Amino acid sequence: MFILSVIMIIILAPLAGGLLTGTDRVITARMQGRQGPPVLQPFYDVFKLFQKESIEVNLMHRFYVYIALIFVMFTTVIMLTGGDILLAIFALTLGSIFFVLGGYASNSPYSLIGSERELMQMMAYEPMVLLTGIGLYYADKSFFIKDIVSGQAPAILSLPGVFLGLLFILIFKLRKSPFDLSMGHHGHQEIVQGIKTEYSGKDLAVIEITHWYEVVIALTLVYVFFATRAPVSSVFAVLACILVYFLEIVIDNGFARTKWQFALKSAWIVTGVSGTVNLVVLSFFR
Amino acid sequence: MGNRTVIPFGPQHPVLPEPIHLDLVLEDETVLEAVPRIGYIHRGLEKLVEKKDFQQYTYVAERICGICSFMHGMGYCMAIESIMDVKVPERAEFLRTIWAELSRMHSHLLWLGLLADAFGFESLFMHSWRLREQVLDIFEETTGGRIIFSVCEIGGVRKDVSPETLNKISGILLSMEKELKELAKVFLNDSSVKYRTRGIGVLSKQAAFDLGAVGPMAKASGINMDLRTQGYAAYSKLQFEPIVETDGDSYARTSVRLREIFQSIDLIKQAVSIIPEGEIRVKVTGNPNGEYFTRVEQPRGEVIYYVKANGSKFLDRFRVRTPTFANVPALLETLKGCALADIPILILTIDPCISCTER
Amino acid sequence: MSILSMSKILFKSILHGPYTVLYPIRKKENYEHTRGRVDITVSDCIFCGLCQRRCPTGAIRVDKAGSTWSIERLQCIQCNYCGEVCPKKCLKMGNQYTSPSFGNVRDDYTNARVSDNTENH
Repeated sequence: MFILSVIMIIILAPLAGGLLTGTDRVITARMQGRQGPPVLQPFYDVFKLFQKESIEVNLMHRFYVYIALIFVMFTTVIMLTGGDILLAIFALTLGSIFFVLGGYASNSPYSLIGSERELMQMMAYEPMVLLTGIGLYYADKSFFIKDIVSGQAPAILSLPGVFLGLLFILIFKLRKSPFDLSMGHHGHQEIVQGIKTEYSGKDLAVIEITHWYEVVIALTLVYVFFATRAPVSSVFAVLACILVYFLEIVIDNGFARTKWQFALKSAWIVTGVSGTVNLVVLSFFR
Repeated sequence: MGNRTVIPFGPQHPVLPEPIHLDLVLEDETVLEAVPRIGYIHRGLEKLVEKKDFQQYTYVAERICGICSFMHGMGYCMAIESIMDVKVPERAEFLRTIWAELSRMHSHLLWLGLLADAFGFESLFMHSWRLREQVLDIFEETTGGRIIFSVCEIGGVRKDVSPETLNKISGILLSMEKELKELAKVFLNDSSVKYRTRGIGVLSKQAAFDLGAVGPMAKASGINMDLRTQGYAAYSKLQFEPIVETDGDSYARTSVRLREIFQSIDLIKQAVSIIPEGEIRVKVTGNPNGEYFTRVEQPRGEVIYYVKANGSKFLDRFRVRTPTFANVPALLETLKGCALADIPILILTIDPCISCTER
Repeated sequence: MSILSMSKILFKSILHGPYTVLYPIRKKENYEHTRGRVDITVSDCIFCGLCQRRCPTGAIRVDKAGSTWSIERLQCIQCNYCGEVCPKKCLKMGNQYTSPSFGNVRDDYTNARVSDNTENH
């Protein structure tokens, strides 16, 4: 039974992530005055990429991308079966590190700078992600997601500051302007495609699928803040996820890309102010 | 002593509009020096004067560049007309001025879109180019072509514009002005745009003068130099003041070009109101004999045309000194010590038109 | 400190819908002056060769002896110089442009009068 649900998650999560990415592209195009691609376009892109030749610099930089995919799948399974949130965060971080190592292994100057920027981004958002895990423990006395979503009150009532901080660093995780420093979705970057530069064919398709899983993971983190024991709360939580995703699209279209100094500084200021203050205030009440 | 890497920037790069190669020596995202290399798009257009006669060469001259194409044709025709002592009718002068100002508008709108794209603001890029499409539709309606119109000839212009079309142009420009004001607000006031352009690539007034910067690059550093005040074509009959800013950074250059768009709309409105009736072309016979320098104010700056003719129907020499070529030393000066993320913006602030530079 | 100043334009675009035309399903109307193919009324042509001499790219080839006029479609730059210098005004520029093709396309036009004469004898 458990094996069945794991397999369902591994197959259905990227489908949901791909649909979300597809609607993202259509809404972005309408905001820019264009028609936009069909909603299933990310799937068509991945199928096309699987048919292309993978030109490799060396075997290592391909290997790292597959390891990153396995860790991200592991994270999704843990989160969606209600497991330990800290274990999920650490597995996700490890997957991202393998991805960065892949960028270093390909020896091209553009992917080198892309990897360095990706490490800067991770330094910027990791404190906030950890604070989210710790904050949820403070609010619901357990690290396990299945306990957090079956609590009495939604976690956001006691953790509004942490939620705001999470919204801020979701811009990093979803790779949107103003903080899409390392890996451009739209191209037109000064470092060509950043970490993705030396990848083609099947490996690029695997990077796309990893990004779909990451979208699902990010929205699950938002869902956890709103769900409670009552079944109607899951409707509100899904609505909140959709609203948050739409807000991220608007922010993506409304800002220019910043430089790494500003990204690091602003993420740490937001973590420090909203995350830490929230937890300090919460510790007075518990 | 940090880790130094050499990044090959270009010739094919998603952020560059045209191929130029820069070898950047970087130390942890700070540029130490930049070594440029051009020559990827040299087509030998100046040698073609020996093969095409001076009437056919009008079509070649306007294909030197796609963005500043009308002004190249106009400059060439003005040079030949001055050698042959041909007096172009007044209506043709006004029509040339209107098309030249429309060219300036479309070039600056294209540049604004590319700048927004360079700092990752894709929606601003798409909206700037959407406004530019309206100017291109005006071109297609009056001349038949969107980018290269083939409408200037020695002795005048080839197509006339009826008064109804002129009024229609005024109406379109009025509605464009409203949308342009909204776009200008984003470019000049949005804090993320200001973060990427303020204080980047500062060029002092003395440095701009010494390095020979022209066009909006010089105007943003405080040098008051606009060739339209010399009064060629119909500019002697129009009222305007050259736009000058003093900061010398990328923000000032953006502001100069934005205000030039509004100034062009105003100039076109003035021209449409005082355009006289009359002929649009004069018949030209014979061959030119002599040499002449013409200077025209292109969207990118001052461009110099030198034509030497010897009495046969083939010209001896045709030389163009384009504004991008004059701005490249200023570019290399601003590139020293900048961050890697600023490089596309700095390259774009000189408004590089490499096809003009390497005919 | 003004952020998200673009949001007004963004929401206006979503409500307005796409500004683009779904070409080739829906084509845009060409204007009257739009530069298109050069067409010849070959029965008026006297095969003087002025258009061939004036064409900047050399796309036109005129054969006076064989009474043929041909044009290389993809070399023509639609400048209409030929149309202006033609003494018989038999060259006209339409407003539909040459459709794309896989190879070079040379369109030949022969004077129908001449073939008729040789056949009917």
